[in-house]
Amino acid sequence: MQYKSQAVAKPYFIAAIGLFIGQIVFGLIMGLQYVIGDFLFPEIPFNVARMVHTNLLIVWLLFGFMGAAYYMVPEESETELYSPKLAIALFWIFLTAGALTVLGYLFVPYATLAQMTGNDLLATMGREFLEQPLPTKLGIVVVALAFLFNITMTVLKGRKTAISTVLLLGLWGLAIFFLFSFYNPHNLVKDKYYWWWVVHLWVEGVWELILGALLAFVLIKVTGVDREVIEKWLYVIITLTLITGIIGTGHHYYWIGAPEYWQWWGSIFSALEPIPFFAMTVFAFNMVNRRRREHPNKAAVLWALGTGVMAFLGAGVWGFLHTLAPVNYYTHGSQITAAHGHMAFYGAYVMVVLCIISYAMPILRGRAANSNKAQVCEMWSFWLMTVAMVFITLFLTAAGILQVWLQRVSDTPMSFMATQDQVALFYWMREWAGVMFFVGLIVYVISFFIKGETKAATQ
Amino acid sequence: MTSHALPLPNSTEPRLAGDLAIWFFIMAELLAFAVFFAAYAFTRAAHVEEFNLAQQALNRNAGAINTLLLLTGSAFVVRAVQGALAGEARRAAPWMLAAIASGVTFLVVKMVEYSAAFDHGVSLSSSTFDMFYLSLTFFHFMHVILGLVILSVLWLGLRAGRYGPHNMNGLESGAAYWHMVDLLWLILFPLVYVIH
Amino acid sequence: MSFTENVAAGSHGTPAGTFRHWLVLIVATLLTWQLGESRGGGLLTAIILGIAMIKGAVIAFDFMALRHAPLLWRCLLGGWLVLVCSLIGLAYWKGITP
Repeated sequence: MQYKSQAVAKPYFIAAIGLFIGQIVFGLIMGLQYVIGDFLFPEIPFNVARMVHTNLLIVWLLFGFMGAAYYMVPEESETELYSPKLAIALFWIFLTAGALTVLGYLFVPYATLAQMTGNDLLATMGREFLEQPLPTKLGIVVVALAFLFNITMTVLKGRKTAISTVLLLGLWGLAIFFLFSFYNPHNLVKDKYYWWWVVHLWVEGVWELILGALLAFVLIKVTGVDREVIEKWLYVIITLTLITGIIGTGHHYYWIGAPEYWQWWGSIFSALEPIPFFAMTVFAFNMVNRRRREHPNKAAVLWALGTGVMAFLGAGVWGFLHTLAPVNYYTHGSQITAAHGHMAFYGAYVMVVLCIISYAMPILRGRAANSNKAQVCEMWSFWLMTVAMVFITLFLTAAGILQVWLQRVSDTPMSFMATQDQVALFYWMREWAGVMFFVGLIVYVISFFIKGETKAATQ
Repeated sequence: MTSHALPLPNSTEPRLAGDLAIWFFIMAELLAFAVFFAAYAFTRAAHVEEFNLAQQALNRNAGAINTLLLLTGSAFVVRAVQGALAGEARRAAPWMLAAIASGVTFLVVKMVEYSAAFDHGVSLSSSTFDMFYLSLTFFHFMHVILGLVILSVLWLGLRAGRYGPHNMNGLESGAAYWHMVDLLWLILFPLVYVIH
Repeated sequence: MSFTENVAAGSHGTPAGTFRHWLVLIVATLLTWQLGESRGGGLLTAIILGIAMIKGAVIAFDFMALRHAPLLWRCLLGGWLVLVCSLIGLAYWKGITP
């Protein structure tokens, strides 16, 4: 690596993968609970497994983003990280806080956890994805601000590039919008209105800036295409993201009691949200086609191209399928939503983090790329996980279509539970696909331990 | 570092006036508004009487005046670009200022129009037509503001003599954005204010 | 040489040409304004949309200098104009047919 302090990224990446494994274990538990309702009840009820699964997802992606930033920023800014010690300290603080939180979910009844952690002082618990106790939330803010301080000081010290600027914008945005998790209005409409200022403006807003920056960084390194070209594309992509995504928040305001014009604004703007993802895919393939060098890390290139495609399909296409208000009226909160959510998160954020890890880890370990054997193994894991996710999505989509038909559209609608009985077969198939995904993840971890001849790092 | 030489602005080879990135952006904006225009047109088709009635309360004169203002502003921008191309950027700067003045007048007329409409109880929730009228014109209003910011940057550049026959990219890009804003209004005005 | 003679008749045209374009645009706008005062209907709407397309073409091909641009961009913007006005026309027709 070019700068010694880039090494702090390594523990972040390792923790990310470790927590990823935990996330999938709990995913498999829930998948089974869908069809064997009392599996692991009462030790790990469904709602607890769900909190662990979703919270672990967010936390491991955050570890991934932070590791990516610690790796990218010194290289982009052409100067050492402002404080490597701070980065390591924050790593342990964040990891400990995360672990304690998950243990709290698992071993303490939620209401007791709320009481123990001062939820009566400022009530922030009890909302989807934001289940963390108040101290954890405060801890996240502190860790995020300190992390941002470290990264920002580094950029200010050195060269400012479009990539580091966009990355900073995205990361600062991430922190600022998280603050809305502390705002918990009593009015249910407002509660939901502002909840989306965290969730939507994260994944359909500032996180896309982070995604773009990470993808652009890897593409510059592996293709050797002119920085100017890649940075121009990045600006176009994030502009498209913000134009469509900000007012596109309205696609969450259709049925919560907000004014009716949101059904128009949300439909029109969110319908265009696939465009930046389409641009990202064209961008990735175009840059690889125009490459000026044959980088030895083929796996990283595969992840980069895969991110474009899967993000476009999962976030763009599957998102579009249920984004228009007249459609969403019927599909809201169904398995269609779950189908989209899984492929979107995997395609956009899981894959881009795995992409940067794929590119950076070998360098952090002293080589330009892993051995052929290791890369082939890693590429197998790419296909296993990606194909598994496609099947998960297809099965959930099928379940969703049947569910919407039976429960809402049909002339003789069935009850929720009766409908669930009818779609159970798809849940079984989804679970098998989930097992395949987990196998892919194991293969992915194994790829880190495969030896063989590697090329020395060129820098 | 590009692999081919760009033709000079006043040659006859096919050439896109302005940066490729800004044209991508322009196409995206055109697409977004096209979707909105279509949404209006097809919603109107399902509620013809209601839309015709509500449209009568619109100030068509203000809309027409605004059209004239934007068109004139665009013509001024073209004159500024021509001046820079001829190597006379500083002398061409007043044309850009005149364009900015047209744009600002547009905003003033629009705000007067809005003020009267709000006094009459028009809001995003008063009717579907009103929702479309306010949304379309407001989104366009925001784009006029952005366009004026861009023109101001261009005006400063012209005054400083930064643009010339060998440095037209920024000027042409900004001008193209302004013309797009004008183009959008050329559809919006007949669609919302006139057609019935 | 005067300022106007200095300007090359390149992709952005001449001051005289621009003045002519501006006149066309103004007249077209006044016409649309006037037509708007009448009772409306299918024929008038078609005329108004046609005028809008012509005005748009002047902006796109003359003011934005697309006349001298690669074919792709001319098709994209020209196509946008035709598509949008056609869609509006189609919707209008849909509205007046029972």
